[in-house]
Amino acid sequence: MSTSRKKWLGPRVLAQRVLAAAVLGFALLPTSLAAQDASNELGLEVYTKWCGHCHGDQGDGLGVAASRLKPVPRDFTSGKYKIRMTTTGNIPTDADLTRAIRLGLYGTSMPAFTENYLSDAEVSAVVEYIKSFSDWFEDPELQNPETITIPEPPTYDLEAAQTLGRQVYEETGCARCHGEHGRGDGMSAPTLVDDWGNHIRVADLTKPWTFRGGGTRKDIFRSMSTGFNGTPMPGFHNNLGATPEESQQRMWAIVDYMLSLAGGPWEDGETPYANLLRSVPVETELDLEQGTELFAAAPKATFPLFGQIVEPGRNFYPSAVEVTAQAIHNEDEIAFRITWNDMRAETGGSNAPDLPAPLWDDHLAEIGQATAGVSDAGDDEGGFWGDEEVEEAEDEGGFWGDEEVAEAEDEGGFWGDEEVAEDDGGDDFWGEEEGGDAAAASDTLDTEFSDAFALQFPLQKPEGVRQPYFLFGDVQNPVDLWFVDLAKPTVGQRYEGRGSSALSPSEGGDEVITQATFDNGEWSVIFKRKRKGSGLSFEEDAFLPIAFSVWDGFNRERGNKRGLSAWYQVYLEPLEKPSPVGPMTRAGLTVLGLELLFIAMVRRRNGKTVS
Amino acid sequence: MNWWVLIAFVAAMLVLRWRRVGILTWVAAWLVGLYLVLNYVFVVPVPVSVIKIYMGIVSLSLFAFVLTDSQRMTEFWQPIQAFVVEPRYRPLLALVALAIPALVAFRIYADMTATPQAPFFARTVHPAPPDSIIVHDSELALGTADNPYRDLETSNPEEFKERLEKGRAVYYLNCFYCHGDLMAGAGMYAHALNPIPTNFQDPGTIAMLREAFLYWRIAKGAPGMPEEGGPWQSAMPAWESFLTEEEMWNVILFLYDFTGYQPRAVELH
Repeated sequence: MSTSRKKWLGPRVLAQRVLAAAVLGFALLPTSLAAQDASNELGLEVYTKWCGHCHGDQGDGLGVAASRLKPVPRDFTSGKYKIRMTTTGNIPTDADLTRAIRLGLYGTSMPAFTENYLSDAEVSAVVEYIKSFSDWFEDPELQNPETITIPEPPTYDLEAAQTLGRQVYEETGCARCHGEHGRGDGMSAPTLVDDWGNHIRVADLTKPWTFRGGGTRKDIFRSMSTGFNGTPMPGFHNNLGATPEESQQRMWAIVDYMLSLAGGPWEDGETPYANLLRSVPVETELDLEQGTELFAAAPKATFPLFGQIVEPGRNFYPSAVEVTAQAIHNEDEIAFRITWNDMRAETGGSNAPDLPAPLWDDHLAEIGQATAGVSDAGDDEGGFWGDEEVEEAEDEGGFWGDEEVAEAEDEGGFWGDEEVAEDDGGDDFWGEEEGGDAAAASDTLDTEFSDAFALQFPLQKPEGVRQPYFLFGDVQNPVDLWFVDLAKPTVGQRYEGRGSSALSPSEGGDEVITQATFDNGEWSVIFKRKRKGSGLSFEEDAFLPIAFSVWDGFNRERGNKRGLSAWYQVYLEPLEKPSPVGPMTRAGLTVLGLELLFIAMVRRRNGKTVS
Repeated sequence: MNWWVLIAFVAAMLVLRWRRVGILTWVAAWLVGLYLVLNYVFVVPVPVSVIKIYMGIVSLSLFAFVLTDSQRMTEFWQPIQAFVVEPRYRPLLALVALAIPALVAFRIYADMTATPQAPFFARTVHPAPPDSIIVHDSELALGTADNPYRDLETSNPEEFKERLEKGRAVYYLNCFYCHGDLMAGAGMYAHALNPIPTNFQDPGTIAMLREAFLYWRIAKGAPGMPEEGGPWQSAMPAWESFLTEEEMWNVILFLYDFTGYQPRAVELH
């Protein structure tokens, strides 16, 4: 597939390059255009079993799951693919499509179809089948696209990363979308849309384990070189320096700069997740004026979040994917610091854990793109929280059943129209990168709900293994929520939860003191409370359940529509650690004494027998 | 199974037997050999607690083996006695006498300074179902109930196919976030869940269960689980709040069809 072409010398505007590439492509003409096997029965069979429910039987990305997936499934009719070895604007190679199928796309519902599921022959067949959805794969002008080669990476160089890499990051304007420190919080992040008009979330560069195309150095080099077709992410192949060599050098520097944000090179498959938060003892007063400094000695533990999809208020695409926690305590008090990355701080409006939320979250409806019927379903804030849950459920069930069919069809029609329009302007994504499409995006800018955060503990120390239900507790086992609405960051609130439909503000009791800051895409929230008092007592040398909830106002998260964690544990290290020296000496001496006794006895007995 | 370790163990024991080594060496060889077998022969790691139990049993048996015969007893005892008494072993004896207390002390140090590990709740993965459940006002006896649409597979293949399609829609609107597109329990949220979602491709899950059991687990979810299943921590929703009975039976048909497994039949007593 790969053809060598003249390298472009010097930086050019991409629009020029795309035009030139098209002309060049036309001149070369396809050497062999694989004749589409009209009866690719194996491909159809594989596609129907494994792909159609998301990508749609017509390949338009509108399978039954599409309305509840974000990022939306790939629309194969467009020919636009993100993860490629071909340069910007080009169709992918068969190897690119095979890669996506075999490895999946991290952080999305696209799984890795390993050999356990599909043979090589089946993958080739389905690759051909997928290509048959788009004219682009038959267009003579687009054949034999220019591909890049990824050179062997030089040794990871933190110094170069932080100087040259940072410099290239600034010069190239990465911060405009990805943010000053790469946390996906650039100025234009809230307004970015893809070629289909969907808002898309900018990659958080500090988390390579969430990168769709993989987070190894070579993966990032590829993504940086080729860009993501159909999105505002451009490709910088040979475009970062005056010569290809210089461009390559600067490319590695920026790749390493990104990885330095995540703490260094990332091994494929690594995640930073823990299951225990260790609270370390400190001698000093827990003076919140010191802010982050106070937690300098406390180890960080990162916990993954998922969308609340268990109960009404289902949140299929939560904004926050993880939180990082620290904890410290002294004789009287305990303090927690939690950080997470957010595209933008929503400090207008309000939020609370007991606000009514729609039955489920339809992102198409929420950005004003779905049909009226769908948005009705999404916005029905009615009382499924009530007592007559069973009756409600029956109604809902029937209602959903009917709705789904209609929904899919409607959207199909709607999208179908959209695509025709889109196809006319194939190279348009440059324009959008310049911040266009503000009209579509402005619908998404909403200040009704503020960002919010909650820590969850059992209200009483659990007896044995039994914990409260992790979704805001249950009737017999209530939870204690420490909640902060980030529109009012200094007002710590407490709720007693006996289930998500039975949350009530705690009357009286010990105050929870809060403090919050937002810095370049990172929320940092500190909670402080007395260790003993009303609610849970934070005993030393004990494990206590802890869970986290994040609400992103931008994503209209409120009430039970939230990102949350499972139960994890917090362990308070004793203020005075028992020294191991005493027990060690005692045990050692005891054993030694027994040994000497044994030796003496054996020798004595031996002496007797000999004499 | 790591056969090479097992073969090496058997070969080593045969060589020792052939060389007619002393009983002390023989006992030591058994202890060390079985420890290695337990640790390295099985592909799925054997839990430390189980290994401790086995090694305890092995030690007792060897002890009994030695004690029950005075010949063996003497043979076992002589090298130890020689080691303790004979002057030529004195430096080595001193070294051993100091090394053992040092090891004990080190063990205590390691235990006392180790990073604490979060406690682990050993939940029952497939807890026993109740006799009957009530879903949307209708009672279902779990012991005898079967999927009301299973018969269609032979009696009305057309309708069966339609139901599979409806089941597919239910699955890909609701279940795949956790159980995964491939039904292998590796959905996009799986890494954030504890317990992890069930892997339906594993022959130890739905292939071993009856459809009524699945119906119970789907309709009542985690909150309907008995205590031994850990109902407070599983993220399995009670799907009766979202789905009709028909939708739940349809998705069960789809689970079996997609994975190619057959449900366990109702046992007729």
